[in-house]
Amino acid sequence: MTSRNDFSPAGMFYKSVMAAAGAIIAAYLLWKLRSLIVPIVVSSLIAYICHPLVIHLERHRVPRGLAIWLLLVMFVLAALFVANRVRSIMPSEIGALEFRIRAMYKINEGYKNLMGLDQSLTRGNWIYRLAHGELNPIADRTNRLLALTPEEHTQFLASRPHGPEAPAGSDHLLDYLRVNLQTLRVREPAALPETGAVSAAPPAVAQTPTPALKTPIATLGHILSTWIIAPVIFLFLLRDTGEIKRGLLRVVPNRLFEPALAVLADIDRALGDYMRGIFLECALLGLTVMLLLAIVGVPPRWAIAIGIFAGATNVIPYLGSAVALMGGLAYALLAEEIHPLLPLVNTENVAIWVIAAVGLAELLKSVFYEPLVLGGAVKLHPLVVVIGVVSGGILFDLAGVLLAIPMITVFKVFFSSTVRQLKAYGLI
Amino acid sequence: MKEKFHITGIKKILLTWHKHADLLETLNPARVLYGPLPKSAAGEKGQGLVDFFKQVSLFEDLTQGELRRLARILHERTYRDGEYIYEEGKPGTAMYIVRGGIVEIVRRRRNGEEVPLVTLEPPATLEELAVVGADVVHWTSALARGPVSLVAIGRPDLDALGRNFPLLANKILKKLAHIIAMRLQIVFEAEYFDEERSLNSDLPQ
Repeated sequence: MTSRNDFSPAGMFYKSVMAAAGAIIAAYLLWKLRSLIVPIVVSSLIAYICHPLVIHLERHRVPRGLAIWLLLVMFVLAALFVANRVRSIMPSEIGALEFRIRAMYKINEGYKNLMGLDQSLTRGNWIYRLAHGELNPIADRTNRLLALTPEEHTQFLASRPHGPEAPAGSDHLLDYLRVNLQTLRVREPAALPETGAVSAAPPAVAQTPTPALKTPIATLGHILSTWIIAPVIFLFLLRDTGEIKRGLLRVVPNRLFEPALAVLADIDRALGDYMRGIFLECALLGLTVMLLLAIVGVPPRWAIAIGIFAGATNVIPYLGSAVALMGGLAYALLAEEIHPLLPLVNTENVAIWVIAAVGLAELLKSVFYEPLVLGGAVKLHPLVVVIGVVSGGILFDLAGVLLAIPMITVFKVFFSSTVRQLKAYGLI
Repeated sequence: MKEKFHITGIKKILLTWHKHADLLETLNPARVLYGPLPKSAAGEKGQGLVDFFKQVSLFEDLTQGELRRLARILHERTYRDGEYIYEEGKPGTAMYIVRGGIVEIVRRRRNGEEVPLVTLEPPATLEELAVVGADVVHWTSALARGPVSLVAIGRPDLDALGRNFPLLANKILKKLAHIIAMRLQIVFEAEYFDEERSLNSDLPQ
């Protein structure tokens, strides 16, 4: 018996043309509205993560509307808590100036020691002779970035307890500032005015004009205009009790209904596994980094900050550990004194211990966490990860970088599952 | 195919499952596998899905609130005359409830000829096995005879219901198990017991 669901060639051609036209229009709209894609995807993913919580509350006889509002209140409270924590670890204005002076001094000292530089900063060891052409411009750029502007210079000197003319040794930050100015004077003498005392004008290199930027209000307006849609989508997706899925399936032809049902189930399962897995892995890595850095002497508030940042950026493969390493090494470089739990650690060797701690965290992640929490999730080839992350960054900046992997996961499952189901149903 | 079924052997099972005793009146013995004949205008257009569900024996244990919740996850489908609802040999991912029209169940012989087994009307259910087991393959085909409207429940939908509302899913699964077990009994009865086990000697007076 011949299948009564067959389509005529003319009908198939017409449908193919319509589908191609639809795809072109969809691609055009997607490109034109690309600034909305990131807020939509972000709010959708958050709603997807929150959906089980709403269901859990609903199962315990909490009305769905009330459950969603409870969740929103929880989010606002969590955001306020995080903002408060971030504000508490952010240094004050003078603290930031002190940090830059200390960072510049330590970096230059480290560079000088590593390269075996003499007082003229022009002769060094074999490493310097080999690579000074590449390394000197980086060091100069770092110095320009950290050097104080004239206003900052005045502000810093006014804040010192012993005054700007304090003798050497009485105020180590003033000593650092003097050394920094000396370094700049030697490295880029043309850029420096005659200074004399430490209170003299700071280097002109610090006055590099900044490119014209949007005003903060314009930037905020731009962000609000695109991100205002995010909470709306979040609320609507949480309110949804299956209408979206049923709406999608309603437009599917009858002969594709069961395959489409299976494909949607595959995507749901893969995305759920991925989200749960990556969330757990990020949390475990963040906690491990936090704990290990605290053990080697990084103060708890910095260990917590580095751990949170490393955990959050671990969404991008390999980046979490890199961030932990950079954060830990930056602290090791700038630390004046440390209080490690291990007696072997001191200010001289803390950098090595930081590397060891991050290495151990990465090892635990690869050997235990990933197989444990991401075992059933979709595996992506490292090349796909790299290309996807870079492409996401080019198209959608930081959010594109963060969202590249979940989106690639969804597309991969969509295509592989569609092909598998269509084959199983004898449609291809 | 029809001669495979023996009313006399099946009657006892139907009587023990009292709600389907009326099926004994049907002329087609295969009809008993698919639930009762329509008694009401269950498939009338404009009728609410929840009201329709009240007439489906699979959902008879569910409360009004549970029926409303169920209505939110199911899929309404319409079919043209002669259109396949599902085809024999293809994977099964959903079960169906006839809401309107007539559905014909057919099975293909080795020579490719399709043999009609039974026609179903609202509120019959079909392909229940597809939602309770993995890797299920349709062992018959279902065709729309005239315009047909169905309600489909996908296996993923029932899985999600099991995760999110286990009590509700449990009620449905118990009922499904009951229906499938009863049908198995009927098939065994038809296969292994003939008319010598007469109705008069077996049935209680």
